[in-house]
Amino acid sequence: MPANLLLSISVKYWQDFQDTLAKVMDANIYIFDVNGGSFSRFSRPVELCQEVNKGGKISNEKCINFYKSALGSLEDKDMLTCPYGIRLYAYRLGTYAQKIGFLVITPTRNETRVEGEEKNTFVTKANSIYQTINEILKAILEKNLLGLRRLELNSIYEISRLMTSIVELDKVLDLITNSLIIIYKVELGFVGLREGDKIRVAQAKGEYGHLLIGKEWPMVQPLIEQVFSKVEPSTLRIEELMTLPGLTGLEVAPGNEIMVYPLWTALGAVGLLGIVAPVSLDDNGSKNLQIYANFAAVALANAKLIHRLEREAETDFLTGFFNKRALRNLLIVEIERTTRYGTPLSVIFLDIDDFKTYNDTFGHVAGDVVLQKTAEIIRNSIRLVDIAGRYGGEEFVIILPGTKEEGAVAVAERIQKSIEAFPFPRRQVTASLGIALAKNNDSVDSLLERADQACYQAKKQGKNRFCLDPS
Amino acid sequence: MCELIENQIERYETMLREMWTESAKYLGTFSVNLLVERVVWELSQEYKEIELLQYGQDGITCAGLAAGLNKNPDLPVDDMFVKFIIRYLEILARLLGHEKTEKIAKRLNEEFGRIPFDSKEE
Repeated sequence: MPANLLLSISVKYWQDFQDTLAKVMDANIYIFDVNGGSFSRFSRPVELCQEVNKGGKISNEKCINFYKSALGSLEDKDMLTCPYGIRLYAYRLGTYAQKIGFLVITPTRNETRVEGEEKNTFVTKANSIYQTINEILKAILEKNLLGLRRLELNSIYEISRLMTSIVELDKVLDLITNSLIIIYKVELGFVGLREGDKIRVAQAKGEYGHLLIGKEWPMVQPLIEQVFSKVEPSTLRIEELMTLPGLTGLEVAPGNEIMVYPLWTALGAVGLLGIVAPVSLDDNGSKNLQIYANFAAVALANAKLIHRLEREAETDFLTGFFNKRALRNLLIVEIERTTRYGTPLSVIFLDIDDFKTYNDTFGHVAGDVVLQKTAEIIRNSIRLVDIAGRYGGEEFVIILPGTKEEGAVAVAERIQKSIEAFPFPRRQVTASLGIALAKNNDSVDSLLERADQACYQAKKQGKNRFCLDPS
Repeated sequence: MCELIENQIERYETMLREMWTESAKYLGTFSVNLLVERVVWELSQEYKEIELLQYGQDGITCAGLAAGLNKNPDLPVDDMFVKFIIRYLEILARLLGHEKTEKIAKRLNEEFGRIPFDSKEE
């Protein structure tokens, strides 16, 4: 009965059991899934059925339609007569909360002519068969449920462990989406992170996952507002989900359920968790998924916070460039690469000319504008692979991996000319630059020292120029 | 246990190890073990011996399973492992997408023969 996530039974083994039971009880048994589709074959030959269906499995369209319709409206149990006149005893399997499927029992010979005591005996027999099969299936269901809960607990345990150990956002996102797919076999699982006034889908897995990654949805979008208007998950129809921007091409197979969990922490909304799953969860399953979402929210909030702190710890607030500490760490990596692979490496040290006078004359706010504009000019003058940072005060350092003398001179000249030509407020601003090329056995200090010395030479020679370290 | 079954188990163990290692490159060990646990749970309805498969941070081994086969030498080993691999790859395809899963299946095919992975089942 594959429509039920929790009732995974081998048809082969089930058929063996069912056939044995049918033989012992001298009755014919067959089972249908929750949608009225056939699960097992007839246990014993019924001449008329065999003729009509050409085997042990129901294949006649008239029969298929009859069972789908009759079982679909079956309350608990009923006595039915099939289109070919065979009397059937039909039972609903499972509980009201967890439907498993349907059981059909017939006598091994046509019962239409059997009446009275014999009929009563068969009804009693059919009830006993139903009790036995239902108890067995419920036991399998319970056992499977325990297995699912174990998987859920393992995953929740790992998420909670991550909260106090791994704080890498990517790993947390991966773990959450992987677990959803593995445990619940969801068709699609996605996590959106709140970034200011919007939700950005940071991770999505499943058949249409690639369509969602990177999509942005404003917090004021009606559906997003609806999701965050409560703490419980929202069950959505596909038409509702498709109102979110950028979901063209997304398809959801019929019968799938779409659930979106808002991820709340004490600090507010951290994001959302969405699943498209082929089964409805029972009460306990929904509660566990809610616990899972709560843990995921805290893990994501922690990871986001650490990520932000790390970024802030290496960023210069005024210019958005790397700060001195980050620059030195990056330079260590580049020097190591140069030593290992023998690739060239150049460093430019830049100092804004007469910055102190500018600051004293026009104020710190004006001075800050000069620093910001200078950073912008540097950013526009280098490649993506180059690294620029504010070393301190009015000093900037630019690291040029894989760049020889000619390339470094060209960059320095471009920056110097651009600063000279830029219409800074109040008065013209210039800068002096020193270039040093990495040598064998260079350390961060020795390389920066030589670039600084070359910059000093440029100042000494009259400012607004660049000099190359002569050594 | 006869030598033939021993060789069979050994071959499948090498295959599962390869599959475990390749998947762990993309998913990390926790997710791979969760995936193995899920497939073991599903398959144990049919072959309870599969619960003897051992897996953890260091990988996957069939040692316990091989020992357990002494008690049930009639276990259809091929059927059990093929079903395990099919179910594993089906879920893996949802996690990694067609391309990467096919790459893993292809690599296993090259070394061990036909791996029954149908990407359409994703």
